[in-house]
Amino acid sequence: IELEKSCYSDHEIRKLEEEEQLRRRKESMYDDDEVRGKTVIMAQDLEDKWEQKLLRFEAASRITDADKSNDRKSLNRKLDSNLMLLVKQKIGNQELWLLPQVEWQPGETLRSTAERAMAAFLGDHIQAKTLGNAPYGIYKYKFPRAIRTEDNVGAKVFFFKAFLQSSDLSQAELKEDHLWVTKDELRDYLKLEYLKKVNRFLLDL
Amino acid sequence: DALLSCHRHYRSRPTHGIGRFKYLLPKETPKRKKDKVQMKEINVGTEYEYGDINIQMTSYDLCLVEHFAQYVHRLCNRLSIRVNESYAMPTKTNEVLFLEERGSKMQLDAVLTTHQRVVQITGLSSTFAPILLEVIQSSQPEGVHLLVKEHTEADFKSRLKSRPELEELLAQMN
Repeated sequence: IELEKSCYSDHEIRKLEEEEQLRRRKESMYDDDEVRGKTVIMAQDLEDKWEQKLLRFEAASRITDADKSNDRKSLNRKLDSNLMLLVKQKIGNQELWLLPQVEWQPGETLRSTAERAMAAFLGDHIQAKTLGNAPYGIYKYKFPRAIRTEDNVGAKVFFFKAFLQSSDLSQAELKEDHLWVTKDELRDYLKLEYLKKVNRFLLDL
Repeated sequence: DALLSCHRHYRSRPTHGIGRFKYLLPKETPKRKKDKVQMKEINVGTEYEYGDINIQMTSYDLCLVEHFAQYVHRLCNRLSIRVNESYAMPTKTNEVLFLEERGSKMQLDAVLTTHQRVVQITGLSSTFAPILLEVIQSSQPEGVHLLVKEHTEADFKSRLKSRPELEELLAQMN
């Protein structure tokens, strides 16, 4: 499959030369001088050997067991797209499915709050990398009238993104339910308003 | 026909030299061979701006690396990030020898070449940098290693070849 206008490599030149030699030998019976030691291993033989090796190699399948069973708790699903962690949290008096969230303590940078949230839900030493100090999205909401005081009208939630380096979450056992979902499946779990804001910054390539 | 299709008028004609324009352009100084470019932008400013950043892609497969480098370059053009240079580092060749010892010792050789492409970027604002990083990370092809780091003198010098005769002469002078 030749898409670039590239030149022939050494192997290909060798192959072409040997094919020409074979043809010449078939047409007229000379060329016994040139055989000597060069064509002990022909380029075509090498290619055949390599092809056989390739046939013996089986790539791992992309659709893993977790996909077939649709087990949303494992990280092995949907190896193509990104998976997000969803946790069931209690806010006010409601139990909701949310992205892991923790209250901000004054005097702390937003990024360290996010990392604290990660540590709270995934165990102490996670190899997750937050890129940059800036948040990715923000969701504001007002408390229902029962809880509203004079200062605390509502809350703002800042979202940060982090990449998990290793898929080794054996030590981390979350107390509540947790799921790893893709962007489409998020719709089944999150509330509309929340979902709209979250969807804005989630990339799915 | 080639002789007759010349549109330049002869010297005695009043319209001689009618199409000349090169003398109107600003003078270009002849390029010097030593490019000692050292650009270091503000790292701590009102808006956090990164200085020169190198995105290095390494892989065994040449086509993949080149296509990925082109993709990154075009992405930066599209997002109006200034790209200083995008160059390639020299390829490294590794020879792999299999020693299968089952009776007859066979030595199957494999020659692997490692290719490296670098795209240099300036003027990244820190609010935008993580988004760009994420896009590049998620669109990485298989088998391509990505490395993003700041540009240093050592990186700049690794592209230049050392001249042993010059160094000898300098040592002799000193």
